[in-house]
Amino acid sequence: MHSTTTQYVASRRMGLYEPMHPIGMWGDFKGNGCPNASASTILQVETNLDNQSEDTSHGTLGTPSKYDQEASKPVDKVLRRLAQNREAARKSRLRKKAYVQQLENSRLRLVQLEQELDRARQQGLYAAGGLDISQLTCSGALNSGSAAFEVEYGRWVEEQNRQVNELRNALHSHMSEEELRLLVDGGINHYFDLFRMKETAAKADVFYLMSGMWKTCVERLFLWIGGFRPSDLLKILSQHIQPLSDEQVLNVYHLTHACQQAEDALSQGMDKLHQFLAESVCRAQLREVNYPQMEAAIENLEALERFVKQADHLRQATLQQMSGILTIRQSARGLLAMGEYFERLRTLSSLWTKRNSEPA
Amino acid sequence: MQPATPYTTWPPTTATSAGGYTSLESQLSDSSKSAENDGMTSSTSQVTRLVSENAVIAFGRRGCCMCHVVKQLLLGLGVNPTIFFVDEEDEGAIIDELSKIAGVLEGDGNGKVQFPAVFVGGKLFGGLERVVATHITGELVPMLREARALWL
Repeated sequence: MHSTTTQYVASRRMGLYEPMHPIGMWGDFKGNGCPNASASTILQVETNLDNQSEDTSHGTLGTPSKYDQEASKPVDKVLRRLAQNREAARKSRLRKKAYVQQLENSRLRLVQLEQELDRARQQGLYAAGGLDISQLTCSGALNSGSAAFEVEYGRWVEEQNRQVNELRNALHSHMSEEELRLLVDGGINHYFDLFRMKETAAKADVFYLMSGMWKTCVERLFLWIGGFRPSDLLKILSQHIQPLSDEQVLNVYHLTHACQQAEDALSQGMDKLHQFLAESVCRAQLREVNYPQMEAAIENLEALERFVKQADHLRQATLQQMSGILTIRQSARGLLAMGEYFERLRTLSSLWTKRNSEPA
Repeated sequence: MQPATPYTTWPPTTATSAGGYTSLESQLSDSSKSAENDGMTSSTSQVTRLVSENAVIAFGRRGCCMCHVVKQLLLGLGVNPTIFFVDEEDEGAIIDELSKIAGVLEGDGNGKVQFPAVFVGGKLFGGLERVVATHITGELVPMLREARALWL
């Protein structure tokens, strides 16, 4: 006989008006008075009950037993207090949840800021070395993977500069071949480290990598699929590794030729990707951009990651093959030449930036 | 700058010819391409035959740019590679077929053939990475010659 609708309850005796909690309602109060075990408050279901006798209305109190007539007064208070406590507890839990959420967000923001600060500090060190000032403000590192890569790359450049200096000193000091070999191997492995870093970064945000925003502006001019052109590399090397034996000349020629062919093939693949992408975007109806229609386009974008990987693989293979053709001393000279070349590009970038930021 | 390669489909040939390339549609409705096909054979059983009959053949998804890179590279070497474009619905079956030919264990997720897949002389050669790597080291051309894909 209990219904759980919310109704306003008036207690004529108490003069209270409060919303009825869905505990139980008396539908039938004709003196039968089924005992209400849970909290029962003073009920008045319908106004026509007003015409009932006091006794009957007492009977509607939910507890038929007479002794509760006095007890119902404090019970009522107790029940009300309990309800209020519940409400307060609930609100408190909600507030706590909101607070914790806010804390979590702040924590993430703090990590981000720390990374940015770290990066800016690193870049501050290379003010003379030539990292673009614009990189400090809009490097485009949208996610933590890219931000982490930027930091790592900063360290990589630092190490690179150190190694280049070491090579320069070593070559001037006529170091032994064994010691020189260590430096050469270290230098080549350092490049391999970069390719590994880039592979991870490509997974995080391939567009960031391909934008070259992690490089200085002049380096970016020469960007080819997220890095330097292997054929450019060979051009730089060939000027500093003379004299070559006849066999070496032939091998270098073949390597240059093969490298160019692979590079061209990759370039054409990229052109094809542009073409496919443009076509699939044209075909998709953009009024309601939905996944299935853009699927072809998305697949093309995913292919970018593989392109970067293949381009880096070509760079690595070219370096490796070259080091196999050259003697240790020639390799050392080559590495030095490469290192100095990129260093000069970075310096040029910084000169340009300074020139542009100076008042006219 | 390379001239644009026209996407015309030639009747499939097994002999290498100068210039152009042969591309096969995995749907065998076009009778002009039935020089090799009986017309009623399924594309998967065709695969085995194609691998054994072609000195160089590459399998790839339609619209895959990596496949294009492989093709361009091989063309540049003077090879006339057969390119087989795999339709999405046939993909699984064809990969299984190729894996069998390659002797790769089935059910081994990592070992399965991936696109683009290049077969030289009837055997699985590898993907784009292997093609580039062997080309840089100078091993690719001799291998192609041995497989009679190159005549010089």
